[in-house]
Amino acid sequence: MSAPALDRAPGRRRLWHIDGARTLRSLRGGMIIAVFAVTFGLLIMLFGEPYQVRLAVAAYVNLIIVIGLQIFMGNSNVANLSHSGFVGVGAYITAIFAAPAMIKQTLIPNAPWGIDEVQLGVVAAFIVAVGITGLVALLTGLVLVRLSGIAATILTLAILVIFHGIFVNWVDLFRGTQAFYGIPKVAGIKTMLVATAVVIVIARLFKDSRIGVQLRASATNMLAAEAMGVNIRALRLIAWVLGGMVCGVAGSLYAYYIGTVNARAFFFHAAFLTLSMHILGGMRSVTGAVIGVALISVTMELVRLAESGPVILGVQMPELLGLSGLMLGVIIVLVMCLRPDGLMGGLELDEVIRRYVKRGRN
Amino acid sequence: MQYVVEQALNALSIGAEYSLLALGLAIVFSIMGLVNFAHGEMIGVGGYIMYAMTLFGMGELWMILPVCLLTVVITAVVLERVAFRPVRQAPATTGLLTAFGVSIILQNVFLLGVSPRPKTVPAVSVLNTTVDIGSYTFTILQFLEAGVTAIAIVLLVIFMKRTKVGLAMRAAAYDFTTVRLMGMRANRVIATAFAISGFLAGIAAIFFIARRGAIDPFMGLVPVLKAFVACVLGGFGSLPGAVVGGLVLGILEVVLIIVLPDVMAGMRDAAVFFIVGAILVWRPQGLLGKKTELGDKTA
Amino acid sequence: MLEVDSISVNYGPVRAVHSVSLTVEEGEIVALLGPNGAGKTSLLSAIIGLVPVAEGTISFQGQNINRLDTESRVERGLSVTPEGRHIFANLTVEENLILGAASRRDKDGIARDLETYLDMFPILRERYTQSGGSLSGGEQQMLAVVRSLMSGPKLLMLDEPSLGLAPRIVDQIFKLISGLRDRGLTILVVEQNAQEALKFADRAYILSTGNLEFSGTAEELRTSADLMKAYIGEGVA
Ligand SMILES: Nc1ncnc2c1ncn2[C@@H]1O[C@H](COP(=O)(O)OP(=O)(O)O)[C@@H](O)[C@H]1O
Ligand SMILES: [Mg+2]
Repeated sequence: MSAPALDRAPGRRRLWHIDGARTLRSLRGGMIIAVFAVTFGLLIMLFGEPYQVRLAVAAYVNLIIVIGLQIFMGNSNVANLSHSGFVGVGAYITAIFAAPAMIKQTLIPNAPWGIDEVQLGVVAAFIVAVGITGLVALLTGLVLVRLSGIAATILTLAILVIFHGIFVNWVDLFRGTQAFYGIPKVAGIKTMLVATAVVIVIARLFKDSRIGVQLRASATNMLAAEAMGVNIRALRLIAWVLGGMVCGVAGSLYAYYIGTVNARAFFFHAAFLTLSMHILGGMRSVTGAVIGVALISVTMELVRLAESGPVILGVQMPELLGLSGLMLGVIIVLVMCLRPDGLMGGLELDEVIRRYVKRGRN
Repeated sequence: MQYVVEQALNALSIGAEYSLLALGLAIVFSIMGLVNFAHGEMIGVGGYIMYAMTLFGMGELWMILPVCLLTVVITAVVLERVAFRPVRQAPATTGLLTAFGVSIILQNVFLLGVSPRPKTVPAVSVLNTTVDIGSYTFTILQFLEAGVTAIAIVLLVIFMKRTKVGLAMRAAAYDFTTVRLMGMRANRVIATAFAISGFLAGIAAIFFIARRGAIDPFMGLVPVLKAFVACVLGGFGSLPGAVVGGLVLGILEVVLIIVLPDVMAGMRDAAVFFIVGAILVWRPQGLLGKKTELGDKTA
Repeated sequence: MLEVDSISVNYGPVRAVHSVSLTVEEGEIVALLGPNGAGKTSLLSAIIGLVPVAEGTISFQGQNINRLDTESRVERGLSVTPEGRHIFANLTVEENLILGAASRRDKDGIARDLETYLDMFPILRERYTQSGGSLSGGEQQMLAVVRSLMSGPKLLMLDEPSLGLAPRIVDQIFKLISGLRDRGLTILVVEQNAQEALKFADRAYILSTGNLEFSGTAEELRTSADLMKAYIGEGVA
């Protein structure tokens, strides 16, 4: 971005420097987006059918994931595919610590470190899950930030495959391909809405923070940023860990909502779904995440109706398995070809509103 | 001794499969910086066309093999025209994401058009019959894989050295703009690159399907991931690197099969990717890759 | 032969060439001079079609070529030897030259031209099977020029052929360029080294920060110290 801003930020201390007015503006912006995002959920919560609430919860879990994706991908401009793996870590750690010891003794009797006998409270397990996800992100991040561009993306792919391999093969701890059940179902749509609002504000604050600004500047011109003494690796690592933890939050809440965890839910299919939501909305925008999730969730649901062979005007339609996937692919390709910056470009809701108001005044 | 010889041929033939796929990825990447994730779906395209022909009573080997190759080549060229040309000038990430999209589309076309359940192509499976030579046991397929791949590589080298388009492809890996200044059509060079990558993938498809005996909509995923690994091992964008990377990967897998205890068999893929991650960090340019040869397109 | 009529070139919001017009007549050597960043390369890139023109028209042999892509312009007889040579370092000298003729189909003609130019530039025959990257700077420049010639151009455009070469080599290169005129070639040469270029050019244009500052005969420019000082800078006149 502005060269002087980079120029005046040689030291680590400066990295965390807080500018009151800017932070406030960013906070307000984040809250506007959060309100926008949560409104739909509130309406569905108050007036919706149970199945609509179920769909809404799924959409909000995906939104939290996409926000986690945005924190790293949107600021560093490195395509990431491993985020589903971090969601899986959050979900599995929650399952391992929150499921009752009794159930665990039948599910994972050979768990290492006697972990099957440990049982934490719901909140404690959540904190442990997010913490461990952060730790895992830190470890992988230390390796990842050494690479850039396509090489980094391929490494994220490798991370996803490795995580999946561990989930499926460390049977003593993760139950392999079998479901891990017995997790207390304590999260509902309210929890999702609160969590969504919080992570949206965090993501927006991060984007406008000195770290976020420098990270985005370095993504457009790496050499210039490096020449000005910006430690890109450190910035990327911070974004990576924060994004990973947000994905961990999503995984944990997902586990608390659905009660069972299965490794299949954290592999390529989920990764592509959330990735396409992210792309459609616009990677560089937090608002874009909300819009992308909303549009794709609704589209997918409509397509899924068609997929199951509905009866339209008394005529039984054939089953069309794969239609939703097809749509997803078409959306990705069309967005990339026609509008690679996504629907929002780099803009946020509050910025759009401000522009609109300004134009109205003139 | 017998075990060693059999496993060596096994490693060589598996490695040959990966080399074929990796070469296709590397050719396209070296010229236009596109990481073509949809390359794995070429196997599906080849598989389903052979399945369709079998369904319509044209399942003889001599009929389905050429049609398989032709279809895959055409598909690759068409995809370039329709999906990848619009993002040619875009950053590498845009191209990669487009390729993801194409891959998802193809998988779901198979799902929608045929079935989510595995299907067989009996004629091709015949290639997998075993033969005994002395006290050794091999499959015909293993010899075919090693032999055909070797021939394909030799032909490719001749093409790249002796034809104008081949020269242009090598030059384009280095400096595409200047190739255009020579009056060589960019579209022609890129279309040729896709056609060749499709041809190699078509061969690989036949081998993959013969080995596994069945096709399903998502069968391209694992092979393309392996091909990525091979490319990374050899240095992304380097053609010799892709071949060597594929062979190294084949050997690595066979060694892991031998050394990892059966209970950890499932960790094989994870182990392979772990090694790849380590290599990426230790030598981002790959085992063979030289920075200059890559034209720095990865960075 | 070449008529450039008030063209502009933009890079995003930045305008690198402002409404510049120039002409090159058949058989001429025209020099395009100006300091670094003046927009000379941008102008050549626009003429060959590597960058789009924002306004204005480019005609070659009486036909508007604005809408043609680079490859078609090369086929019609335009050729650029790029700044910094851009030899294909991973190809041999022979392969570089073959690729230079990529737009042609007359096999016999190509073979004949190849022989002619290898006679003119014997060093290239010596290095024929070496890789382009192993050549010295001067040899690479010769290779770059001959590679352009292999497309059989009617108008050859050279972008700073003397860049980064020792004075002795520069002399040699320029001698070869004037030799090409005797073979009926029309040449547009971009140079920062004005003195050398004006020795053999017929006419000259001076470009500065994207604007055409001077056009006239090389003679005028050569003999007027004031002009030289004003446009090309101190120390050269
Ligand atoms: N690809 C490009 N993108 C943006 N600006 C460019 C690009 N190429 C050249 N420029 C700018 O255009 C101006 C003219 O450059 P150029 O044509 O290379 O000048 P010259 O060849 O006379 O040295 C310079 O200010 C340069 O920074
Ligand atoms: Mg220049």
